[in-house]
Amino acid sequence: MNSIKNLSLLAVAISSVLLTGCGDAETTINELPPIEDHDDHDHDDDHDGEDHDHDAESSGRLMIADADSNAMAVFDLEDNSLLDTFSVTHSGSALTHSADYRFAVVSSRTNDLVEFIDGGVWREDHVDHMHDYEEAPALSDFSLVGSQPTHVVSHDGQLAVFFDGNADTSMPASVQVVSDNDIATEANDIPTLTYSVNMHGVAKPVDDMLIATVRRDDAESVSANPVLPDSVGIYHWHDGEYEQEQLFAGECPDLHGAALNEEFVVLGCSDGVLVLHAHDEEYESQKVSNIDELNGMRVGSVYAHHDVDTFIGVASQHGGGSAVITAIDPDHGEMEVINWEPETDAHPVSYGFSYDGEYFLILDDKGHLTVLSAEAHDDHEHWELTSRIHFSEEDLNSMPDNAGFSMSVAQNAPLVYITDPIAQHVLIIDLEHGETEGDIELDFVPSAITWLGIAEAH
Amino acid sequence: MNKLAIMMTMLLPGASFAAALTGQAVSQSGKPLAKATVEIEALNVSVRADESGYFRLPSIDSGEYELHIHAPGYAHLHEKVTVTDSSSNVTFTLSRSPIEVIDVVAAPMHMSVMESASPVSVLGGETLRRQQAATLGDSLDRLPGVQSNFHGNVASTPIIRGLSGPRVLIAQNGLDVSDVSRVGPDHSVASEASTATQIEVLRGPATLFYGSGAIGGVVNVVDGRVPTDNDTRGEWLLESDSVNNQKLASFNVTTGVNQLGFYADGFWRESDDYDTPVAPDIDEPDGAHRVANSGEESNGLTIGTSYLLDNGYIGIAVEQFNREYGIPGHSHGGHEEHDEDSHDHDEHDENSDEHEHSAEEDVFADLEQTKVQLLGEFTFDNDWLRSVSFRAGHTDYEHAEIEHGAVGTVFENNTSEIRLELMHTAFAKWQGGLSFHYKDSEVAAQGSEAFTPPSTTKMIALALMEERHFGEVLVQLGARAEHVTLDASEVLLPPLAAHSHDEEHDDHDHEEHDHDHDEASLTRVFDVEQTFTPVSFSAGMVWDFTPGYNVGVSVSRSQRAPAATELLSFGPHIGTGTYEIGAMFALTGDEEHALGLSTTPTDLETANNIDLTLRKTSGDIGFVLNAFYNQVDNYYYQTNTGLYAESGHSHGDEDDHDHGDDAHEHSDELPVYLFGSADAVLHGFEAQIAWQVSDTFKAQVFSDYVRARLKDDVDLPRTPPLRVGTQLSYLTDTISAHLDITHYAEQDRNAPTETETDGYTLVDAFVSYDWRLMDQDLSVYLKGTNLTDTEARVHTSFLKDIAPLPGRSVGVGLRGYF
Repeated sequence: MNSIKNLSLLAVAISSVLLTGCGDAETTINELPPIEDHDDHDHDDDHDGEDHDHDAESSGRLMIADADSNAMAVFDLEDNSLLDTFSVTHSGSALTHSADYRFAVVSSRTNDLVEFIDGGVWREDHVDHMHDYEEAPALSDFSLVGSQPTHVVSHDGQLAVFFDGNADTSMPASVQVVSDNDIATEANDIPTLTYSVNMHGVAKPVDDMLIATVRRDDAESVSANPVLPDSVGIYHWHDGEYEQEQLFAGECPDLHGAALNEEFVVLGCSDGVLVLHAHDEEYESQKVSNIDELNGMRVGSVYAHHDVDTFIGVASQHGGGSAVITAIDPDHGEMEVINWEPETDAHPVSYGFSYDGEYFLILDDKGHLTVLSAEAHDDHEHWELTSRIHFSEEDLNSMPDNAGFSMSVAQNAPLVYITDPIAQHVLIIDLEHGETEGDIELDFVPSAITWLGIAEAH
Repeated sequence: MNKLAIMMTMLLPGASFAAALTGQAVSQSGKPLAKATVEIEALNVSVRADESGYFRLPSIDSGEYELHIHAPGYAHLHEKVTVTDSSSNVTFTLSRSPIEVIDVVAAPMHMSVMESASPVSVLGGETLRRQQAATLGDSLDRLPGVQSNFHGNVASTPIIRGLSGPRVLIAQNGLDVSDVSRVGPDHSVASEASTATQIEVLRGPATLFYGSGAIGGVVNVVDGRVPTDNDTRGEWLLESDSVNNQKLASFNVTTGVNQLGFYADGFWRESDDYDTPVAPDIDEPDGAHRVANSGEESNGLTIGTSYLLDNGYIGIAVEQFNREYGIPGHSHGGHEEHDEDSHDHDEHDENSDEHEHSAEEDVFADLEQTKVQLLGEFTFDNDWLRSVSFRAGHTDYEHAEIEHGAVGTVFENNTSEIRLELMHTAFAKWQGGLSFHYKDSEVAAQGSEAFTPPSTTKMIALALMEERHFGEVLVQLGARAEHVTLDASEVLLPPLAAHSHDEEHDDHDHEEHDHDHDEASLTRVFDVEQTFTPVSFSAGMVWDFTPGYNVGVSVSRSQRAPAATELLSFGPHIGTGTYEIGAMFALTGDEEHALGLSTTPTDLETANNIDLTLRKTSGDIGFVLNAFYNQVDNYYYQTNTGLYAESGHSHGDEDDHDHGDDAHEHSDELPVYLFGSADAVLHGFEAQIAWQVSDTFKAQVFSDYVRARLKDDVDLPRTPPLRVGTQLSYLTDTISAHLDITHYAEQDRNAPTETETDGYTLVDAFVSYDWRLMDQDLSVYLKGTNLTDTEARVHTSFLKDIAPLPGRSVGVGLRGYF
């Protein structure tokens, strides 16, 4: 031990003789505004609609497409100011949101490209707290490439892009599934299902499963139009590929439109709707036949909400004629027509549930927003007209070519945003009070809109 | 440096009275040494002797020169020669060295196991091939002073004299390997031994050469990715091992035409979970004798090219490195308490109940790195400048930890680095030069385990290194000043729901407050900018006090800027099984368990180190004995706060979970460790003795020991135990056989939270047969590791109690050289 002490002395002695120079350290800490921690377990707020607390979190952002160019404008809903404008590769692209509403998804069917714009507002699970980010929006370098991207749908943290493929160029259909994190990290290995033929299909991601349409051989197909699939496959992602676990062969002729909630998957077919229900890791199918009131039409679009038992099915003529709106109750295997009392000649152009599932919204081409809500009778839900907001007094004949009203539903408040291409503004409509709360002026003709931000947990 | 064969052809234009120096290198018994190299450093001239040991250095100005003569298996010789106008003819007699002497490449000073003031080990040639393992720490584990922090066969980093993590720098060809292995023991090093030509280890402070991050030592993995000549040569290897069904294939090849050199290497390895002599988890003695989730799959490819000039080379190489490996024991929250049933519910999104996730329980890492290196070296016939060497690199690293088939956390490291060394001509017989060094690293983590905020570290440094022979004494001096900035614009201080287990007496109530803590809690956010100016000095001498022996002393004072993890962390780190909080924060004491900014100023860590070395450099017996004493002021380390915090994965999923199955236990909690600093002392020794019994038979013994403690006598955790090993070798032209027996002593000098670890003895054997076929030297070999199938729990491992070393394994391999 003595020798060690001596060594120590020697080391220190020599060091101090040789080395008088000394390092330096300086620390500058600036405290920034704190982040409010969300109480994740508090569910009972603001369902009464009275006191929406917008202070704690971002109101979100709006992404609006310019009808005449490839520009996309981002507005901050805190103060309705323009944050930035981005140029995507192609004009005339379709616009929607990513699974967790962080990214705008811009898909150009004719150019085989899906691009993403980071809205800049998102939430991360930082283990001890939910960390909310509010950053500048940015065009992502990440993109998806595939033949004719058409149906872009989200479910529970995942976005599925259905690429229809193209018979003319012998490109088969495929599905690519991405989470917001995949987009943010520009992930390389995107789960992909590739078919052997093209089809106009749709796919819904559920965890590591994918419920996707299947087009059988034309000789076998029961679809009148063989480009529409007639079957549904249940795929499971493992070891780097989607493996088909179940196939509902030929159970859904001319399949178009699909939606799912916690329990059921509903798909539109020419002879009714196909309902799938998971039991012990297996799906069981059931058919709800078309009802007479459909007047020979079929359900071609289906809407669902996480917290709503009823599915809304829309049967309409091609080209957006009059539409029959139905409530589908998969639990009882029933379908009934909703009398939404349309205004004369009004044709719906957009549908959607409000963020909490309280309302179902129908936007029509005559400047009305129809608000439906459900009443419970026994254990059935009946959807009825609650209110109608006539939001546009403009002369509809001055509607610019290739433009129309469009809407996007906020996911953190009972608000809906409607673009009016004639007045060149966005109307902010409060669903609770059934009135217009404000507007955002635009210096371009809007063609599409999507809300981005942090969705309120249900 | 200066080993460039092309330099033979170098002409010295202004030399009007040029003479030739010729001679022969022989052994003490008069045997010519065919592979001897003779170099005159002052002139940047080097030549390889022919089959009969003869060499010729043409066109040398008359004068006195110091020659450096070395040959494999022999002690290096430094001799002064006077060259006259007429040709000079000399004979150099080299003595045998039973300890393998390999020079450190690209060091601005003489560095080898036998020559330098500070201790160095180099693992190269056959020895490297015999000891290479899937992970870097395990490859170097048998070097004196180096032990591995064995992490279930899938990751390991070297512990040098008891120091590791941010104190040991890992480099590839002198440039930072730039992964995130310094941050967590479960993060693999992005470098491969099977394609390397040598691995150099500098023990003790090496901040002089490598800067902050090398205060405990450096491991430099060297390969020939940028070829310095274009002789066609190569090597390939195929191997299979039984304990984990490992299959390895690797190759490297160098060739070229005219002035171009080309290089390629690649490797592919796959292994399954490995077998153990006992059930791996000490708490489940009836478990299967296999460590679950310890398999890996990795591959890499490097391509390089260079342009060869008369006075040097410049070249570029690109490497793609991929590795996918299981992370054993990476369950969320304390391995022991792990509860399978609650796990599923604690974890994921709401639909997970519907699907069987048992197969995806395992967490694995998917690592990818792209590395570009630009290397060059030029010599000049100039009054001032002797040579310039240039190294620049850019690496792009990413690894994703995948849980339940989904990406949990992504770690990224983007680093750019430049080193420029300017060596001057001898000035008053001092040789040396200046080194400029710049490094910019952006490190970020995203996801559930992102315990450190994103940060950018920039370092710029200037160093001076000089050496001179004064008769029998070599003096080596160096100094380095650095400027380091660490920027983190968003450092978070969340409210920590930590609590002590003592308070609640196991009544499990505390879970409730998690679900209804309504108080509005704020996460504080800080923009942190740190500036450090670490300065390091080192002075050393080596005295050849009698022929065949030398004694070395090295004294250094080195400083290190603490790493981002040590300062800014806040979150659960599953790899270490702790909830880590950086030194920027402290318990405030006002409120119960509340954390605030630390009032202690952040300071540099300073190591004052003295090294003593005694060597016998030649003869039938050789030895190297080192003793060191390292006093580290302001040593950053973690203390257990006695508190526990949620590891958190259950926190995020708020919705309609039925909390009815309240299987919540402490399983999701981690002990909270807070970084702080205090003075520490590390001291110990390394000894290496080799006896060449006959031409074919050699016996070696080595031992190492370190005691690592804080000044107030608290032992530091995971300190390697005392070790004694022996190796018996039998070598002929065709047969080579080795028997290694290494005893690791019990470790009972533990940190307060550690448990004692029993000692164990490992027995390994290796036999190979060499022959020549179609211009190739082939070697077939059989190797056995842990032949006695001993239960070996590694004290330095974070997985000590759940993943012992692999059991008995037999490997067979085939190797070829051309």
